[in-house]
Amino acid sequence: MATQLAPTRGAAPSRQRPPRKIGFRQTLGRWDVKVSPYLYISPFFILFAIVGLFPLLYTGYVSVHEWSLLGGKGDYVGFENFSFVLGQPNFWTGLRNTLSIFLLSSVPQVIAALIIAAMLDANLRAKTFWRMGVLLPYVVAPVAVALVFSKMFADESGMINAVLGNLGIDPIGWHKDVLPSHIAIASMVNFRWTGYNALIFLAAMQAIPRDLYEAATLDGASRVRQFFAITIPMLRPTMIFVIITSTIGGLQIYDEPRMYDQLGQGGNSRQWMTITLYLYELGWRQRDLGRAAAVAWLLFLLIIIFAILNFAITRRISSADDMTRTAKKARKAIKARERSAR
Amino acid sequence: MSAPSIPFIEQTAGKSAARSARRRRKGVALAGGSDRRPGWVTYLVLGLVIVGSVFPLYFTVLLASSDAQTIAQNPIPSPIPGGQLWDNLVRVYQSDIDLWQATLNSIIVAVATSASVVFFSTLAGYSFAKLRFKGRGPLLVFVIATMAVPTQLGVVPLFIVMKELGLVGNLMAVILPGMVTAFGVFWMTQYLDSALPYELIEAARVDGASMFRTFWSIALPAARPAAAMLALFTFIASWTNFFWPSIVLGTQTPTLPVALQLLQAGFFKDIALIMAGVVISVIPLILVFLVAGRQLVAGIMQGAVKG
Amino acid sequence: MRKTTRKMWAAAAGVTGIALVATACSGSDAGDDSSAPSDEKITLTISTFNEFGYDDLLDEYMQLNPNITIEHNKFATSNEARDQFSTALAAGSGLADVVAVEVDWMPEIKQYADQFNDLTSDSVTGRWNDWTTKQATTEDGVLLAYPTDIGPEAIAYRADLFAAAGLPSDRESVKALFEENGGDWDQFFKVGQDFVAASNGVPFFDGADAVGQGMLNQLDAPFENPDTGEIALDPQVQEIYNTLLENTNLSSHKAQWGEDWVNAFQNNGFAVMLAPSWMLGVIEGNAAGVTGWDIADTFPGGGGNWGGSFLTVPTQSEHPEEAKAFADWLTAPEQQLKAFATTGNFPSQVEAQASTELAGMTNEFFNNAPTGEIFKTRSEAISVIPFKGENYFAVRDALSQAINRVDVDQTDDAATSWATFEEAVKAIG
Repeated sequence: MATQLAPTRGAAPSRQRPPRKIGFRQTLGRWDVKVSPYLYISPFFILFAIVGLFPLLYTGYVSVHEWSLLGGKGDYVGFENFSFVLGQPNFWTGLRNTLSIFLLSSVPQVIAALIIAAMLDANLRAKTFWRMGVLLPYVVAPVAVALVFSKMFADESGMINAVLGNLGIDPIGWHKDVLPSHIAIASMVNFRWTGYNALIFLAAMQAIPRDLYEAATLDGASRVRQFFAITIPMLRPTMIFVIITSTIGGLQIYDEPRMYDQLGQGGNSRQWMTITLYLYELGWRQRDLGRAAAVAWLLFLLIIIFAILNFAITRRISSADDMTRTAKKARKAIKARERSAR
Repeated sequence: MSAPSIPFIEQTAGKSAARSARRRRKGVALAGGSDRRPGWVTYLVLGLVIVGSVFPLYFTVLLASSDAQTIAQNPIPSPIPGGQLWDNLVRVYQSDIDLWQATLNSIIVAVATSASVVFFSTLAGYSFAKLRFKGRGPLLVFVIATMAVPTQLGVVPLFIVMKELGLVGNLMAVILPGMVTAFGVFWMTQYLDSALPYELIEAARVDGASMFRTFWSIALPAARPAAAMLALFTFIASWTNFFWPSIVLGTQTPTLPVALQLLQAGFFKDIALIMAGVVISVIPLILVFLVAGRQLVAGIMQGAVKG
Repeated sequence: MRKTTRKMWAAAAGVTGIALVATACSGSDAGDDSSAPSDEKITLTISTFNEFGYDDLLDEYMQLNPNITIEHNKFATSNEARDQFSTALAAGSGLADVVAVEVDWMPEIKQYADQFNDLTSDSVTGRWNDWTTKQATTEDGVLLAYPTDIGPEAIAYRADLFAAAGLPSDRESVKALFEENGGDWDQFFKVGQDFVAASNGVPFFDGADAVGQGMLNQLDAPFENPDTGEIALDPQVQEIYNTLLENTNLSSHKAQWGEDWVNAFQNNGFAVMLAPSWMLGVIEGNAAGVTGWDIADTFPGGGGNWGGSFLTVPTQSEHPEEAKAFADWLTAPEQQLKAFATTGNFPSQVEAQASTELAGMTNEFFNNAPTGEIFKTRSEAISVIPFKGENYFAVRDALSQAINRVDVDQTDDAATSWATFEEAVKAIG
């Protein structure tokens, strides 16, 4: 029976087994052994098929039909929903906002997370305290974050403008103006996720072999230089992971802009309306699920493009060449030292 | 580098040799650069980061313990909380928005989702990690690949499906799609792969235990540490989830985030009341954080190394 | 199963955890029969928004009907309520037994008339003003909703700020002031200019969009052609738009219901608000502790109605008869008078409007203004009920945004914002 189990690595040489007698129990047992693995993984696949894959494909079907929220499916309309959506200034405003908020949240976030991680990576006293401290915002729901921040960022009655006023700075139109509203919303995202990502980076940093730094120190490289020459390149896979997950999440941003004012439409000029907000508006306010589905597909496309783009860019930034060169150099130095020590 | 361990040195060469060996090794690490005790600048910057993490929460408490008039007249709240926190909490629970129901709904959804994710993920993870079957490799790759699929974009058909099932406004509509996640499966596969020795499984099988019994009595207990973490993360994700619940549950059977949205859109916008609502929604997770924050940190860091 | 799930859910709500999950799926077919009222113990749900002033009435009804338990679901704003309303209507479940709706949704309700019970009965014939009844009746003469209240408009003002600016401040003189020169909107803006010239920086009204609502309420068919239902902007809409934006120096540049607007009540943010009767509760709530508010029995350009609500009984209800009886009771004159006393929602019932009880009502917060008398006069001054079709809501929303871009955000000039508005209107069609 043990044959059905994957052998322990490097162990368990094949054993001789006594010949089998096949009885009912054993048939049942064999069936059990054969089917169980599939049975155990099936919940995931079934559920994914129902709530993941099927809706995604079915979105395509809905998007080429007239489909009212209340009235249900109507006529086949081909790509009419798509051309309608693409012809809407609001769609493009939403696209601009989504990208802008995404960049304002992900770029500073990754940089800040890297710096924080580097600091946490130092030999701190009370390590756990600092790590928990930076993670705290993660447990606050985005909706709650948005409520608190939108109060702080209120144009006339908010704390931030009041503080700026005390410093002699003119109030900023955190809700009125395009870029400030994006900054405010991005700050909510950054508040919640920077510490989380810092911990991911920290873990990856701790996995970097310390002898690389040792060798670099011997070579006289400063700590800043070590950070750029060793840490960043060695973090490449983790950075790709973090950036791609934040892309998938960031481009679908909804909670924060939805809660940034009481109407949830993304502002009078739609200055902070994101694509997902637009999707909701089309589907559930204007009650046109067909058009909403078209937006969903366009957003899906955008996410794929960005995932690929990110992948390529991240590869270039912390280029493989650079890493291997540094790493090779460091390894060589270590070997040389060991040799001379002997 | 296979230097003898310090206890070994101590045994063979005596205490002082061990002490100097320890010092020597530390010294090597020091030369490496990043294991030196950092200077005050690091503490200062990290301190500021923590202030930044805590301040919005403190700000919430300040407003929640004040009243609408005071807040309206002082954009910068006084740094000492007022005395009305309890009154406001009571008021928000007595308000038109049924926060008790919302809290209960949130608990039901989060508990049911976590329990289900842990069970099904462990089951699948055990299968992937320890059982051999055709197509295992490709299927696991498929699971991992699905993590990158933005399933949130399927809201339109998912809504139609839930409508057909008559589940709109029913908590099941939120629990069902989250019952098992790719991340969970992957996480448990990783863990069980290294933490569960084959010998144990074999022993159970030789004793005549069925496949499921083996899973139940051997794999499930062994998976406990990772399962606890998975439950923790699923609980948080579920508790903070808003988009889908706001669409499919609406305001009839709200979870806490949906109830918060209702509070915000209030007829009279009483900021103290809204912030009291925020406090209520945040407290349970802060408690979880205080109790299990260490595990959360460890979980994120483990997930990062492996993922 | 679809119908029963929600009920089962409610019944099981006390149970926690996975046990609950299991029950929710195993729908049985209990409780689907909807026969005449009986002594069977039932729960009726009612959903309202803003403030209908029903809390005491619901208790009273439960005492009158010991077998009925009422659950009240209050939405904060009508926007929230409308979102939920569409979703539940689409889902075929999730609506309360009695659902309060706003007048602006009536076109959509008529479109899905089959989802609502016909409420016609002898007891309600002649209960309301004709125009109100008409709003709730389909072309086939089916009454889809019981009218609850209407929103006759007056002017709420801060007497102390008026006095400080050297204007008359008692309600009779203020009425006279607004009614000089024919009492039209030009006079309203003129008073505003006089006010801001001497007010030391206090703006006149809260926001251009709110004033715009008052002006739009006097157009017969602001956005749509009453015959075809197609979008056709009345040219006067643009005139109103321009007038408003020429007078933004009077505005405190606040969007109604927003963070800063709410705050402004506590900080002498403005001196005047157009006040449909139901707005009194809003002002009182937001301006708690502030003294000086009063109401003048006048409205520029005659009269006007802003808002108004109805109760419907969706066919989703499992107890339509009981729900009808309940909604009928709530919208009877006696009950609506009590609601008026609580929140200022002015009854749409003819009998209630004529009652001496109403005539004698005053409001302490507004300097003991005789609110009953004032709004009775204001309701008699209503001469136009604008046509609102399917697209009214969407166009109105877009117009609000257009005005707010110029008045509140101050990011666009009037012409650009109008162009954007026209673009948005095109997309609605």
